[in-house]
Amino acid sequence: MQPALTNQLNNAFTVFLSLLVEAIPFLLLGVLFSGLLLGFVDERKLVSRIPKNPLLGALMGSLIGFLFPVCECGNVPVARRLLMQGVPAPFAVGFLLAAPTINPVVIWSTWVAFRDQPEIVVLRVVFSLIIATIIGWVFSAQADLRPLLHPSVARAIPLPKPEFSEKKLVQANTPLLLQSGTFMLGQPGGAVPIESLLKDDWKPLQTGKTDKTSKRSSMFHPVSKERLRLLLDSMVQELRELGGVLVIGSAIAAIIQVGVPRELILNLGQGPVSSILAMLLLAVVVSICSTVDAFFALSFASTFTSGSLLAFLVFGPMIDLKGIGLMLSIFKGRAVIYLMILAAQLTFLMTLVVNLYLG
Amino acid sequence: MNLKKFSPWLDALAILGWGILLLKYWITGKLSILIHPNYFGLTVVGGIGLIVIGGFKVWELLKLDRAAKQLRTSPANKSPRITEVEHVTLFPPSIGSTLMLSVALIGLIVTPRTFTSQTALERGLTESLPITRLEPQEFRNTTKPENRSLVEWVRLLNFNPEPDTYRGQKVKVQGFVIHPPNIAEQYMWIGRFIITCCAADAYPIGLPVKLAIGQTRATFPPDSWLEIEGEMIVEELQGKRKLTIQAFSLKPIPEPKNPYDY
Repeated sequence: MQPALTNQLNNAFTVFLSLLVEAIPFLLLGVLFSGLLLGFVDERKLVSRIPKNPLLGALMGSLIGFLFPVCECGNVPVARRLLMQGVPAPFAVGFLLAAPTINPVVIWSTWVAFRDQPEIVVLRVVFSLIIATIIGWVFSAQADLRPLLHPSVARAIPLPKPEFSEKKLVQANTPLLLQSGTFMLGQPGGAVPIESLLKDDWKPLQTGKTDKTSKRSSMFHPVSKERLRLLLDSMVQELRELGGVLVIGSAIAAIIQVGVPRELILNLGQGPVSSILAMLLLAVVVSICSTVDAFFALSFASTFTSGSLLAFLVFGPMIDLKGIGLMLSIFKGRAVIYLMILAAQLTFLMTLVVNLYLG
Repeated sequence: MNLKKFSPWLDALAILGWGILLLKYWITGKLSILIHPNYFGLTVVGGIGLIVIGGFKVWELLKLDRAAKQLRTSPANKSPRITEVEHVTLFPPSIGSTLMLSVALIGLIVTPRTFTSQTALERGLTESLPITRLEPQEFRNTTKPENRSLVEWVRLLNFNPEPDTYRGQKVKVQGFVIHPPNIAEQYMWIGRFIITCCAADAYPIGLPVKLAIGQTRATFPPDSWLEIEGEMIVEELQGKRKLTIQAFSLKPIPEPKNPYDY
């Protein structure tokens, strides 16, 4: 019999590799979508189609996940790309949290696993939708999201469109040198406001017109060699960055899995509260892809309460060790903690209700 | 060393490395140790995709290298377009690729191993674990008992746990040997791992085996694979009545390419 440590290491390595091998194709898919968004979708037109109301925006974001059947590794690059293209935060956050669950593959696999408990399938979708919408809506309370975002994402976000007020119009008529603000000298156009250097399609305030050129034309750019190259570059870059994060997250998950005896977690299966907590913890640690976590949860169906299984199915795709690392590429640590706590609390409350009143 | 110069190459190699690793696992069959067969297609497509992307990148870098050599100047940055996209980075550019490349290389060198009986014991093979209550129609009277696999037996038990139902039925199952610590020398367990999506969620199932008089389990080292033929009996183990295999014949078999069942 092998010495225990070698056995542990072998196991950890196998688990680690298996997590990675499972996740990388999905990551590739997500990176592909994100690259397509960058290269071929006109973000201004995309943004103009999104409702301004934060609640509706969050809801729409959650539902759009239906078109992206990737597991949680895949939707992080897409959510990041959406934010960088100026999509309102509630939409992106709603998408980030709901897309891993609200898509045809996951719904189908949940149904296959829980055919004799259809309420689990339905509640999984409903809860995920509600939680994602609420959290997306909460994030809209912060009008300018940039302090919460990773600096490099924040830099890429177009500045909010300036509003037209009396003051500004007066300002527009005064010569540039008498206006307040930061200006760069020595540019070809004389003194220019610094904002114009950040994005090359920035429209100067003086035009005073809304952008009439965005008619009901297509959201998509035509395919060109240049855009394809852009797609390639963005994919390579996102792959290497998110791949690195995935490696670390999987390593942590593998070590915890092998290091912590499962009985510790499993002995808590029956209490209405302890089972939920145990499942929330398991969901974070096991980091299993949302496309199949239903079958994994099924294996606990006889020892755990239904509410706790739901908690696993709803919370797992939103937050787990692999995903936390990926989310840190979008948000600062503080914001990720908010996301985790909010999601955990909402999941806990909802599934507790299920355990107490429907169990 | 000018890191900036190597960084794009590192990226391309890391991506290529993973593409090759994925395909290598598939070709050598090691993929079945890591994930469920349902995902093999996805992995293969992913591997091909990665190789395509890595390949394009390498081709591009070679072109730029050649162009730079021809001009005898080096452009300020190897590829002007890369800086455009460079605005989102979590780590210094080379760390992500270094990580990925290192893991790919390690993966290419070290073979992943299947889980051992020690892991089975750790993961909770203290009794025949009840598993998925998947479809009640698993209850197939039409399958002859001797054609049932270990997994099917355990599923059946889960559906109808009364061991006396199966007393006397013929058994022929394959699995690996486990020596749980607290039982007599005449007994051992035969088990398999089940996975749903990847090795991370593998969990063990098994049945106790009673050896013939005079045999001890020392003859059958743990983790060796056996095909056991026998009959079902009911024994009391650790205070509980359990369905046990009375073994008539124990034949060593080579470790199957795919050690998991589903």
